[in-house]
Amino acid sequence: MSFSRMSYAQLLETNNLIQACADETYWLCVTRTVQESKLFPVPAYMMLSYMMCYYRYPSLLRKIESRMLAEEIGDRARNAGIKIQNPSMGWALPGFYLLGREWLINLGLIRPQDAVEDLAYVMDFWKRFQLSWHRNNGHITNKEYGHRGQFLPERRLQVFHADMFDCKAGDELHEAAQGFMAAVSQYGFLISCESRISLHNSGPYKLADDREMIVRDFMDLSESDFPWLDDVAKDVPYNNLTVTMAVKDCHFYLVDDWGSFESKPEFTSDKLVGVGLYTSDSLSEGYLPVAMGSREELTSCFKSLTDKIKDANNKLWRRIAGWSRDQMMDAGAITYFSIIKDLAHVAGVYEVSDWMMVDERAERFRPLFNDEYSRDALVGLCIGSHQSHRLSEYTMMHHSNAPQRLYSLIPYSILQGEDYTLTSGPTYPGASCLPPKVDRYNTTRGVIKLAEYNRLSREMRPPVVDPRYRHLCETWVKYNAGTPMADELYHLEQSQSRLLKGKGSHLKRADVERLRAGA
Amino acid sequence: MAKLYIDSDKYGDQGASAVVDAYQGAIKDLIRRRLDEVGGDWASFVFDKSYELIAAKDFAAVEKKLLATGHRFDWSAMISVRERPDAYKSAPGVGDDLKNFSFEHAEAVIAPKDAEGREQRGVGDNVVKHAKNLVGIARYIRSSDRVLEFLTQGVPADMIAVIDDSGGTLTAPILEKFKGVICAGGTVRSHLGILTREYGIPCLMNAKISGIKEGDRVEIESTAPAKTTEAYQTGVEMTAKVWRLSK
Repeated sequence: MSFSRMSYAQLLETNNLIQACADETYWLCVTRTVQESKLFPVPAYMMLSYMMCYYRYPSLLRKIESRMLAEEIGDRARNAGIKIQNPSMGWALPGFYLLGREWLINLGLIRPQDAVEDLAYVMDFWKRFQLSWHRNNGHITNKEYGHRGQFLPERRLQVFHADMFDCKAGDELHEAAQGFMAAVSQYGFLISCESRISLHNSGPYKLADDREMIVRDFMDLSESDFPWLDDVAKDVPYNNLTVTMAVKDCHFYLVDDWGSFESKPEFTSDKLVGVGLYTSDSLSEGYLPVAMGSREELTSCFKSLTDKIKDANNKLWRRIAGWSRDQMMDAGAITYFSIIKDLAHVAGVYEVSDWMMVDERAERFRPLFNDEYSRDALVGLCIGSHQSHRLSEYTMMHHSNAPQRLYSLIPYSILQGEDYTLTSGPTYPGASCLPPKVDRYNTTRGVIKLAEYNRLSREMRPPVVDPRYRHLCETWVKYNAGTPMADELYHLEQSQSRLLKGKGSHLKRADVERLRAGA
Repeated sequence: MAKLYIDSDKYGDQGASAVVDAYQGAIKDLIRRRLDEVGGDWASFVFDKSYELIAAKDFAAVEKKLLATGHRFDWSAMISVRERPDAYKSAPGVGDDLKNFSFEHAEAVIAPKDAEGREQRGVGDNVVKHAKNLVGIARYIRSSDRVLEFLTQGVPADMIAVIDDSGGTLTAPILEKFKGVICAGGTVRSHLGILTREYGIPCLMNAKISGIKEGDRVEIESTAPAKTTEAYQTGVEMTAKVWRLSK
């Protein structure tokens, strides 16, 4: 078979993207935290999820792009705290797919040149999404930006900055906000079967010489996609919540592609000096303020949300404690696999059978995934100690200095006659040991059925992708602030702001601070 | 027999572990046999015939063969050993065993009683520096049954949870009630470390302890400096002490 669908240049680029992901995966796995649990069989479900990702991502991404291009969804991602940010898109989309591929290579079930068109497509989708989402900073990943996660345009940052309420350790708002973040973090780990993928941090953004802002997203909290939240989470009023957090005397020097941060000195709650609260989803026109009318209203809201989340947390824990190992495996694997499912929501093509089931091609591996084999296979995949990872003894890989590469490159020999295959095929049927999903989705447009959710998503055309505004970027704003068109653009973002409504595009950071001081 | 692409690997000559090697070896044998059965045509095998020919029952047989040698798996989740006690190593410190159970880590730093009558029984990585050391009663938590027991009967006000699970889900419904935590795993950045910091609960992670039994009065040095990222990355020792106190 001659290789006519890809050029040498495309192969070069694909291999470059694979290598970049390999370098970062090694660094993240070695230097960031280890995930373990006595409740969930974590390594086992992770291995199962990688199989699901390998076999299904290519066909599901093609389905999504049949409605909406990756770069358009990337534009939408800048305007919502939903699961198409890090760690979903910055790392997991290529990472899970490539980890699955690598394990299958080690089993001898595939070769580096198998499903090569799928592989090139997944990496290209990822690149286009990332470049679009990151267009304000010009990098493809947080890693390339020196582990920094700045995505938002000035007009959104100004609203976050202006409307944030000051707080200090010991006051009622501070305690309420801190209590909420503790409870929702814990609930997030439980929803996501011990993983942190319901939580995401981005930033930092400079608010003043001694203050930075971190934007914290807490996602999939209510009755929505996960069957295990049906009923137990029905009283959680928002599916996604975003907390804006001003921090004093603390520099966030690292925000990685897993959405976690490091700071100097260590961030502790006493350094929290400002908070705000928002919600969003694929049906909202960006971030919607939650209880941002007054500090009293916000304080009360944090307390109420904390109570509801603790109640849901305890109900969910009791449900999970009664599960079988296979049910825990399914929930964990589905959580991982579906980490990019909100791409399908934005495009309006979400289906339960696509995202909440274990593909039968992955399912056949389940008997392998006892705790010990899964642990050893997983650690080997993450640090590069399997057979496929080994390279010539002369090699000194990035970070490890060892002759090992985490993800195999595509051999260029396919361009001169070595045989290869194109695709692992379409989406095969799947199944799950979990109860069927109830057709009830809590969105910013109310609790609706999935068909309605998809219909509304397909109709949704937020200003950020309206041809009138889509390419009015930060560079354009720099040279056009104060013009009627720039003011129109800023007015859209300011329409629900307490302090900035109708202020337009001419404000700078100090002006926003003055407005805050005078409020 | 058919030769797989990976059989010609110039550099890869060792696996990640003995168990992984045993599995991968058996699976490769299986694939070679099945590939032979279809005449060795890789293109029709890899994403088509192999879906039927490499099946769950084949992988179950690989495990059965390993277990027949007497091997028993390490467990990480309690549900695994509970559902298949014949396939996993036993799980001490659960149920009735708790009365006589204690973590016995070889790396535990111990010392005789000091002037205040405190006997050092180990060390750990302090998550957050607090103004005072913490004194409480050690209670082991190693299963969801134990969590359910505390959830039903209430968490004692002076309880220092002794755990070897650095995750944030096992103790999710009761964590907020702990007076302190000694965790024999993870790092200060593990989920349990993150949550205790959010809740303001004194916590030592990666603890290496010995001789602390259920119901012992213990003190943890929560006034020690919090272990930093740099300390982890450079391997610098930065620990807080754990003492057993007179009852």
